[in-house]
Amino acid sequence: MVQIIITSVEGGPAEWLLVELQGEMVARQNTGLAKNLMGDLHFTNEGVPVLIVGHHILYGKQVKLEKPFAVLVKHTVTPQGSEVAVETDSERLTRYTVSALIKKKLIFKTRPKPIITNVPKKV
Amino acid sequence: MDEYEEMYGIEDDFEQQFADELEVMAEIDSGPLSGRSSPVKRSKWRTEECCSFAEALASADDLVRAQSAARAPGGLQGTTDTTTRVSPGTGETKALETFAEEHNSLTPKPKRRRQDVAKKLHFGLEDNGRDITPPSSPEEYRSSRNTSLDTVTPGVLEISGLGALQASPRKVDLSWQHVLRRPPPTGDYITVTGSAGNRVYLAKREEDSSKVGITWVTVEMDVVFVVVGVANMIVGLTMDARTLRNSQYSLGLLSVPIEVLREQVAEKRHRQLVVESQRLTDMLSSTSHVNVESGEVDSMDQEGDAAEGDCEDTTSRLWVDKFSPAHYTELLSDDFINRCLLKWLKLWDMVVFGREKPTKKVKANQADSRLQSKEQQNSRFKTKTQMTEEILEAELDQHHRPKYKVVLLSGPPGLGKTTLAHIIAKHAGYNVVEINASDDRSAELFQKRIDTATQMKSVLGANEKPNCLVIDEIDGAPSVSFLTIVLCDLQGVEWLVGWSGFRGTQAAINVLLAALNRKENRETDSEASGIAMLKKKKKKKESVLLRPIICICNDLYVPALRQLRQQAFILNFPQTQPSRLVQRLAEICRCQGMRVETGALMTLCEKTDSDIRSCINTLQFLHGRGQRQLDQRAVQSVKVGLKDQNKGLFSIWQEIFQLPRAKRKRIGDDPFSLGEEGGLSSAGAQRLQHIVHLASSSGEYEKLTNGLHDNFLSMKLKDPSLRGVCLALEWLSFSDLLNEAVMHLQNFSLMRYLPFLPAAFHLLFAATSVPRINYPNSQYEALTKTQHTRNALVALLAEVSPSIRSRVDVRCLSLDVLSLLLDVICPKLRPVNPQLYSTREKQQLVELINTMLCYNLTYRQDRSPEGQYVYLLEPNVEEAVRFPGLPPRRQLTYQAKQMIARELELERMRRAEAALLARNPLQRKEEEKEMKTVATRDKADKTGLRNHQQRLENIMKQAVMESRPEVDFFGRPIMPKEKPKTSKASGEQEKYNAELVMGRAVGNSDVWFRFNEGVSNAVRRNIYIRELL
Repeated sequence: MVQIIITSVEGGPAEWLLVELQGEMVARQNTGLAKNLMGDLHFTNEGVPVLIVGHHILYGKQVKLEKPFAVLVKHTVTPQGSEVAVETDSERLTRYTVSALIKKKLIFKTRPKPIITNVPKKV
Repeated sequence: MDEYEEMYGIEDDFEQQFADELEVMAEIDSGPLSGRSSPVKRSKWRTEECCSFAEALASADDLVRAQSAARAPGGLQGTTDTTTRVSPGTGETKALETFAEEHNSLTPKPKRRRQDVAKKLHFGLEDNGRDITPPSSPEEYRSSRNTSLDTVTPGVLEISGLGALQASPRKVDLSWQHVLRRPPPTGDYITVTGSAGNRVYLAKREEDSSKVGITWVTVEMDVVFVVVGVANMIVGLTMDARTLRNSQYSLGLLSVPIEVLREQVAEKRHRQLVVESQRLTDMLSSTSHVNVESGEVDSMDQEGDAAEGDCEDTTSRLWVDKFSPAHYTELLSDDFINRCLLKWLKLWDMVVFGREKPTKKVKANQADSRLQSKEQQNSRFKTKTQMTEEILEAELDQHHRPKYKVVLLSGPPGLGKTTLAHIIAKHAGYNVVEINASDDRSAELFQKRIDTATQMKSVLGANEKPNCLVIDEIDGAPSVSFLTIVLCDLQGVEWLVGWSGFRGTQAAINVLLAALNRKENRETDSEASGIAMLKKKKKKKESVLLRPIICICNDLYVPALRQLRQQAFILNFPQTQPSRLVQRLAEICRCQGMRVETGALMTLCEKTDSDIRSCINTLQFLHGRGQRQLDQRAVQSVKVGLKDQNKGLFSIWQEIFQLPRAKRKRIGDDPFSLGEEGGLSSAGAQRLQHIVHLASSSGEYEKLTNGLHDNFLSMKLKDPSLRGVCLALEWLSFSDLLNEAVMHLQNFSLMRYLPFLPAAFHLLFAATSVPRINYPNSQYEALTKTQHTRNALVALLAEVSPSIRSRVDVRCLSLDVLSLLLDVICPKLRPVNPQLYSTREKQQLVELINTMLCYNLTYRQDRSPEGQYVYLLEPNVEEAVRFPGLPPRRQLTYQAKQMIARELELERMRRAEAALLARNPLQRKEEEKEMKTVATRDKADKTGLRNHQQRLENIMKQAVMESRPEVDFFGRPIMPKEKPKTSKASGEQEKYNAELVMGRAVGNSDVWFRFNEGVSNAVRRNIYIRELL
């Protein structure tokens, strides 16, 4: 019998949103995606999510997930006593904390629309 | 029968025409006719028929005669005494019976049965009196009756004991007691129950001779009948006899002594006989003038009596039924109609009987040509005739049905439409299935009936005839639904379809159905050309209507019939020709032994508008009341012939505006009638009466008055001074006042004066020519216009500013203000751009707009029917003050109106805004402030911009400014604090500014998105528990 202790953070887990993009995010420089601003997410008055990435604007929709997800954070506490006991499962005390629940996702599956900035004055 | 033939040998065709009726009558009459040779016997037959005890008595006679040899002693003595005494002459017996019965009927405690008998006998006796052949004098009869009375009285006295025996046993002598009410305490007895249900007990006596005892036993039933019957009779008699009453019955049931009563009756009878004989002699003398042959007179009289007897027997039978035509040749209705209907019905022969058409057609044509020559004489229907001919000549459809599947007979009641339908259907070999107004007309039942009528045929009868459906009084059908079925049946649609449509109810589906059906038909049409036609037909056979339907209605233009009208072959019944009707009526009268002048019959026809049924019913009514002679005056005085006619408005108007046709024929016929009426003035009075009656019968006074009002000026007026018109107008205003009083004050007693307006109009304007009458719609138009105008004014007033509204109401607006106002709002505007206006003109424009706003007027663009756009005043009060016929006023041009409308709109918005700001000044300040800040920032931004960036900046800024001043493109609130930070170096600042504004996103973002539809990079991976731990 394996027992996994799952606790939630104080004040209940937060609710996150899953963002599903159909396509891929590409960095302009070869620096990788990390630490870059991806874009802006807006909601129209009607609640339609609008994602602006680069020169693209994406319209998506909010969908309720059939199976909600939980975001778990693993806490592994190794007992201070013996190193040997590390291998044995019983010695290890692993706890999970639910940091967030994901019940809804924003899905952007339509073809993105370009944002044209430099409009020639006279066409 | 001989008499009949003798009598009607003169009109040979009538004989054969009425063969059936004659037969029926002969059957009815045969009994009395055969027995009429001796009046006594006949009356006996009558009594035999209806009373039991008379029968018993008669049988008792026989019995007594049989027993007279045996001479029954003892208790039977009394009975036998009576009967023997009575028996010598049957005539006397009769008299005794009748006498007894008559008195019974007078006595206060009659039994029901006997009363009945008494009545019958009474008639019989009357007959006796009348049946006496002329030579026999009443005195003779009377004397014989008197003798019978004489003989009876002692008999009554003698047998009184027996009567008393029943009622009061105390009087009974023991030796008499062989008929008892209850079983005798001692000795044997026999129980006997009479036909009347009363039970008596016959005591057996030892000392009686065995012979008698045997007789008792053998003839017990008859004897007891005798006993009981006689006893009953005697009770009736003896109770009245004074002596007995004094001695035994001191009840005094009669207020008048019996002797007095008897005398009275005798007196009465005598008088009646005298009168009767007088009448007979009169008739003899009168008829002998006409008919030389006296034998015929006799036969006539006898026949009259026979007819009377028949009437008594079959009072329930209406003459209308009795004399209804049985054959095509006897029809009274218009020949052309008859022929058309028959021809149409014959068109079905192909599909119903499978007969070939052409041969039939040749025959029909022959008949046609003959009839047509007849028809040619009255060429009134000529064009219509041709039309109907064409219809009848038209080709059959693919089911070999005629083009029109339904005939619609229409016409006023009593012209014989139903009779015609029945007779022609029978004539053409159909079995008539009738659905009447009185039948249940729910959809289910109707459908069932149509189904059965059109798709099945009787297999039980010897002659299996196909059905022909006659729907009588179809206009009385309550709903459209009913007709829907007929219609969809017409089209030959599946019942299911019709049915489902039906559930959904009503007219829309009705139409849909019709469309659907038509489509189906077309489809079949197209297929009919192909080889598949035969198959198709077979398949369709169930659903397609294959039997003729005849619909009958009174009013062709009932809304419910609209759809049917289009699909039906319409035959309009004209009025029966009075000459034919009179001829037939005369025949009927003769047949029934009535003497009616031709003039009287003419009057009757006229009175009933040639309504056959009404005529015959009136005749029967008069006949039933005992009138054997009719003259014109009697007919005129009779009120019965008039039915509650409901004429259409148009016919009423027509009658009002048209003088009745001069009835010269009638005057010639019967000159004294006019003399009696008192010449022209009373003819006028009669007309007046007629119109008043007509108007009050219609009841729709308002419509009537409207029609008169709309039409009276188009009549041919004869007075140059227009006095008549003035009078008419006065009448109109008077009736209007009346109407107002009636409606407003609910004073309905004034209603009775309303029908006099039409009468007045009739007297003022009636002319001989046929008036052309239009349906009145001016009233309606005026009403709608009034409402329209009023609505416009109310709408105008509703939004007018209060300061104006306080001084203006609808009335003064329409009378004083509007006409001037409309001039005021049409200033002279130069047709140029308003920006080029001078200050004066601008001022004028502002004032104009101000005025229009004050009065809540605008211009609204409207598309005229021709496709042009115009600007109309809204609300359109122009109609309220602009009258047709006045010179047209100056109008603003389209452009001017457009400009004004726009300015009005703007001004209105401005005012609304101002009002809003005035309401909450704080908000306004804030807004102003914001505006200011934005403006300053704009200025700051604008200071130094490079060309290549300026465009983008402008775009950005415009977007920002227009959407939300306080929020930037991405919805972030703009911090005024940031501004000082940004103003560092111009180049960097601009860039930063731009980045700040657009978040560096659009132009040169670090990340971009490559779209790949449907792709998901989600990875599935197995996870073991140990990894989780």
